[in-house]
Amino acid sequence: MSVETTGIEKVLISILRDFLESDHVLSGETNLVSDLNLASVQVMEFVVEVEDHFDIAIDLESLSNIHTLSELAEAVRQSR
Amino acid sequence: MTTLFDKFSAVMDERQALTGAATDPTNVVVDKMVSATEGVIAGRATILAGTNNYLGLTFEPSCVAAGQHALANEGTGTTGSRMANGNYHSHKALERELAEFYDLPHAMVFSTGYGANLGILTALLQPGDCVLLDADAHASLYDGCKMSGADIYRFKHNDPDSLEARLRRLGDRATRTLIVVEGLYSIIGDCAPLQKFAEIKRRYGAYLLIDEAHSLGIYGDNGRGLVEAQGITEEADFIVGTFSKSLGSTGGFCVSQHEILSLMRYTSRPFIFTASACPSVIATTRAALQVMRDRTELRTQLWKNAHQLYAGLQGLGLSTGPEVSPVVGVRCADQEQAINAWHRLLAAGVYTNLIVPPASPDGSSLLRCSMSAAHTSAQVDAIIAAFEAVLVTN
Repeated sequence: MSVETTGIEKVLISILRDFLESDHVLSGETNLVSDLNLASVQVMEFVVEVEDHFDIAIDLESLSNIHTLSELAEAVRQSR
Repeated sequence: MTTLFDKFSAVMDERQALTGAATDPTNVVVDKMVSATEGVIAGRATILAGTNNYLGLTFEPSCVAAGQHALANEGTGTTGSRMANGNYHSHKALERELAEFYDLPHAMVFSTGYGANLGILTALLQPGDCVLLDADAHASLYDGCKMSGADIYRFKHNDPDSLEARLRRLGDRATRTLIVVEGLYSIIGDCAPLQKFAEIKRRYGAYLLIDEAHSLGIYGDNGRGLVEAQGITEEADFIVGTFSKSLGSTGGFCVSQHEILSLMRYTSRPFIFTASACPSVIATTRAALQVMRDRTELRTQLWKNAHQLYAGLQGLGLSTGPEVSPVVGVRCADQEQAINAWHRLLAAGVYTNLIVPPASPDGSSLLRCSMSAAHTSAQVDAIIAAFEAVLVTN
């Protein structure tokens, strides 16, 4: 994993905290749905925030293949 | 070992949660229709407060007579596609009347509203194109976009800044981008800022499709919908709608300023490979369109009822949508409260729509009401009183 992706992960974790009600241990391997029990609506809202933060756009088809924070970080890196 | 049927286990769990009581909210049987606003459910006279029958035209005598005449003279069905033997004079007449109603040159009629969205979106878009889709857009819009193979990007519900940010990020692809929104949103009852959306699409050279399924007959001096009320009929590239709400039948349509719409008859698979609407359905739709144009007092009465319900529910301190509209979504604390309240409302003789995740737009659980011009003031009072008994004095 690149240094850039690691840095993106940290930002993602920071944004994600606002969507969680309890203190989860978050890492690149955290699965947004199965580990955090986020509803699909919450995942979409999280992604919109991520897009706005990084000034990027991620299409829904790409998102369907993203499950973990590190996968999302890689998608963010590629979209920049 | 997994099997083909494993995916249904989650659905079974969801159903179990909904069907614990006597009546399954997703499978209510109306034993008898008494009027546009009253039916018999489980042996009980019930006020229908969740039907989308906005103008109350389902029992309109002129519509019923038109349908009966068509049944007798044109038969029960067309037994074919519009592209083959199912293209009757009445289908073409309805298209002309819709175009004339909107004062736009082109119209296309589909067998369902869902099919209209699928038909237009899959014909218009292809891989490589882009869609900017409102986060709360109806499933038929999402399905059509997905089927097209275009790249789909969602923006925050009714948020012009969120839309523009994504359009800007698309750069040169903006001119291959379709913005997809609704007029009146059907769950919460909030309206889209169409003027702002139209201004943004104009500035970036994108295109705009507006689904007016719940707006037709409700907004605008002539009932053309939110596009008329906000003065952007000519800026909307494609206006899609349905006959199954204000017009009290079934079917869908698209009207457009663009000649390209007429070419979609040759490319839209959902249009080509579907049997056309029954002649009686087309006949009642045409009659209802005429009633909607002639009897503007229906719209006045609908809004009077909408204001009465909205004020009544707000007066109870319930959490409703942000503005008065014929659709009023009442937010509940959670899914359990919503399901419980829905059952109790039905037991009190009021049918509403239960909206729970994933069908709800923001993950909340709601009881959705839709008003009709045919509701009496006493019926609206009874709906409010039932909500008070169930959610306030509980």
